[in-house]
Amino acid sequence: MKKITILLFAFLAVLFSCEKNDIEGPNLNDLYGPLDILESFKIVGDSVDFENDEILYFTASFSKIVDWKIKIRGLTSGSIKIISGKSNYINLNNSSWEGSSTELPFFVSENCDVELSFEIHDDIFQDTLYISSAKDYNNESTVLITDFEAGFNPNFTGFFQAGCTKSLTTGGSGEGAKHLQQFGTCDWDWLIGYIDYYSNFWLNPNTLVSDPSQVYFNIMIKGDSTISIVDGVPNSLFKLEFYEDENNDGYYDASSEDRYDYEFDVNWNGWKMISINYNDVENLIAPPNNSGDGIRNPSQIYNVRTLLLANPNSGFAKADVDFLIWSIGGPILN
Amino acid sequence: MKNILLNILIIFLISYALSTQAQIKSKVWYDGNARVMYDRDILTGDNLDQKDTVSTRSNGTGFSKIDLGLHFTPINEIEISSSIRLQNDFGGMWGNRNSVTLRSLSASGVINNKIRFGIGDLFLKQSKYTLYNYSQDLSHFEPDVFSFYREYVNYENYYKENYWRLQGIQTNFSYNMYNIIEQIDIDAFTSRIRGAQWLGDPELLMFGGTLFIRLNEKIKIGSHYINTFEIKSTSNTDIAYFNPVFTAKFMYSDKFLDMYPLDILFEGGVSKRGWEGDGFAPETQGMFFNSTFQSKINNSNLRLNFKLVDTDFRSIGAQTRRLNYSLVPSSYAYYGNSYTQRKIGLLDIISDPDIYNQRLSTSLMDYNPIYSATLPYGDATPNRIGTEVSIEEIKITGFLKLNIDAKYFTELIGQGTTQKRNFLNGAISSKLHINKIFDISVPIIIDASAFAENIKRSGSEFERINLKTNLISSGILVGLTDNLSLVCGSKLFSAVGNEYLIERNTYDQIIDYNTANFDISEMILVGGIQYYFEKDTYITMQYNHFNMLDNNILEDEFSMGRLVFMFNMNL
Repeated sequence: MKKITILLFAFLAVLFSCEKNDIEGPNLNDLYGPLDILESFKIVGDSVDFENDEILYFTASFSKIVDWKIKIRGLTSGSIKIISGKSNYINLNNSSWEGSSTELPFFVSENCDVELSFEIHDDIFQDTLYISSAKDYNNESTVLITDFEAGFNPNFTGFFQAGCTKSLTTGGSGEGAKHLQQFGTCDWDWLIGYIDYYSNFWLNPNTLVSDPSQVYFNIMIKGDSTISIVDGVPNSLFKLEFYEDENNDGYYDASSEDRYDYEFDVNWNGWKMISINYNDVENLIAPPNNSGDGIRNPSQIYNVRTLLLANPNSGFAKADVDFLIWSIGGPILN
Repeated sequence: MKNILLNILIIFLISYALSTQAQIKSKVWYDGNARVMYDRDILTGDNLDQKDTVSTRSNGTGFSKIDLGLHFTPINEIEISSSIRLQNDFGGMWGNRNSVTLRSLSASGVINNKIRFGIGDLFLKQSKYTLYNYSQDLSHFEPDVFSFYREYVNYENYYKENYWRLQGIQTNFSYNMYNIIEQIDIDAFTSRIRGAQWLGDPELLMFGGTLFIRLNEKIKIGSHYINTFEIKSTSNTDIAYFNPVFTAKFMYSDKFLDMYPLDILFEGGVSKRGWEGDGFAPETQGMFFNSTFQSKINNSNLRLNFKLVDTDFRSIGAQTRRLNYSLVPSSYAYYGNSYTQRKIGLLDIISDPDIYNQRLSTSLMDYNPIYSATLPYGDATPNRIGTEVSIEEIKITGFLKLNIDAKYFTELIGQGTTQKRNFLNGAISSKLHINKIFDISVPIIIDASAFAENIKRSGSEFERINLKTNLISSGILVGLTDNLSLVCGSKLFSAVGNEYLIERNTYDQIIDYNTANFDISEMILVGGIQYYFEKDTYITMQYNHFNMLDNNILEDEFSMGRLVFMFNMNL
């Protein structure tokens, strides 16, 4: 009996000494605790030179894990970058910024307002920063078709319906100073107009890889989101056609080569970057008019045609374009 | 078609039983239960004309049921038992509310006079940590005046003591060895917890065993094993649940100070629970330890218990709750102009059999901390460490007896914080036989109990918890004759304070907390008469008044009266 009692107390002593320090479930402090700023919000790398691949980041730490959002707004361009996360700290790993935009146009060399806010707390912290040189999106992993800064290349042929407009415009561009306006009303045909961007005349030669999953087509489109009175959907329809020259004869032959298409509604106002993975483009035209090898091969792209379409019964359509560029490895705004 | 076949089978069984009885009288016998119940619920309260213009002012339901238990012994070693329910709900016409159902069917017997077995409906129980059907919330020390409700609820849900009613096969046998080991007792069973569901979860099976070895008259060691698992091949799924639990026991019986009997029990065990094939499911392993010292001093039973249950200890057979808070109460489930769903309250807990659960649950069922917080899953409640002291049958005088129970537990690890909840829970009950004081021939008994529970957690403002609940119950029985009595009783419940209600995902992991502030009071008053023909055969007619008020939502106050008549007879 005595031995049993000793054994019991020894066992209890071991049990009580094995206390766990962990907690069960999500941290209550993160859900209901007050938000205290332990380290104030700071910008590291002000006057950043994005053109030379410099980066900028922010630091702060909080008393709880919280949903935070940093909003950077260019005072000249109006461009916006949003960096967000859920953590009790902000540092290089979760807030680095290489100069890209979340909302177009692109940032330029300019002053920016910076604002840190939280999802369920009213606290807001503000600061300013300066961009000494803007990010250059055209680099070794991109192929620029055109940015219209040197004007509209007349070798990019096309067709616009009578009364519809295609014009190079300065000011209010998505990138740089110039962009191409496209708009009009056509009550007898779906086509407002199209432009062929032949690869021989791209600003960079076609050095795209053949793996379609690695290649993205990017285009800035400025929409006006006019809603069709006929079918209630946005009136402007945008279509992209990619023509492959599979036999490298400098010509697309519909009877023996592939064409891939991609179309979407322009249902927004202002500039937006559309990025399409070349794997997602579709072979819409049935043989014998589209009888190539059936393999998407970006390195063989001979022509990119952009088409602005609209229901002829529904009126005005508009989709300005700027900065047509291929990127390899991911969308241009990753 | 199924019903027709069932009816034919039942008629055949009854005919067979009667004819067999005529031929071999000793081989067939009956038992069962007959119950007639009628209750009329009456919506009461102030300003009903404005507050509730949609609910009916009263609802009546009633039924008569006979559960006819038939037992056959076709041969001496075999007994076949069935229970057939004949039910007639009041208010039906041309038999449209009559039903005949098979309530239970089983066979049992002995092989070679050594090995007992049972097949069919089985009542199974093991350790409190492997397979145990814990009593419902707030049922401890309940005055006798409420016992007819409790018996009704338990009977309807097949709650026999702390056994779970399962379907399967069971066997047990024992060997006397008369050497180092005196006796070995072995019990094993397998059961089908859940059948296959079309496009649903796979079949859930359980098997378990118990081994007890008596080394001498003082020392006994034993072990329980139980495993609950899904059979993947019975469904179009790649995921299968499993939950094995193993426990080991050491029992020692002796005399303390050479006078008082002393029983010591140590039990420890481990569990594993997971979902094979589910990459998102955690595989958890948990343990528990329990020690109990029990003695009898001056006719009072003294029990001291210490237990620790790990946060990840999971045991489907011991952690399934009787009360299912996801169900809605039978009486006035919705009320008020806003058609508010009524929360399960104290009256429903004591009287509504339809809010109870008869199936083992693979995940922890929800509980309401105002009714049960210290040990909502019984002794197997995970994340608890603490002690319990109880003294029963304290004889103060010849006419007054007391029972005392106290518990103090804390969490092993905090929920959402390093601060841990502390649970203090105490209950006392007494039975005063007035007739013995004044030497009156008819019984006059006052039954009273008090229960209090306090959950506390300190820390920052958002971590702090302080919830106090109290239940004071009383019952008075005044015998008018030897068999006829006036009865009245009350239950006054209050819950004041704050708590965090826990939200768990399908894997029992806590995913969120909802703040809850309680300021609730409930009152049940009962009064009526009861007549006992003999033990378990009685008629009672009572009026109940029930009020539930949440002081945080005054407009949702609910009041109800109930006139209830019950005839009960155990055949």
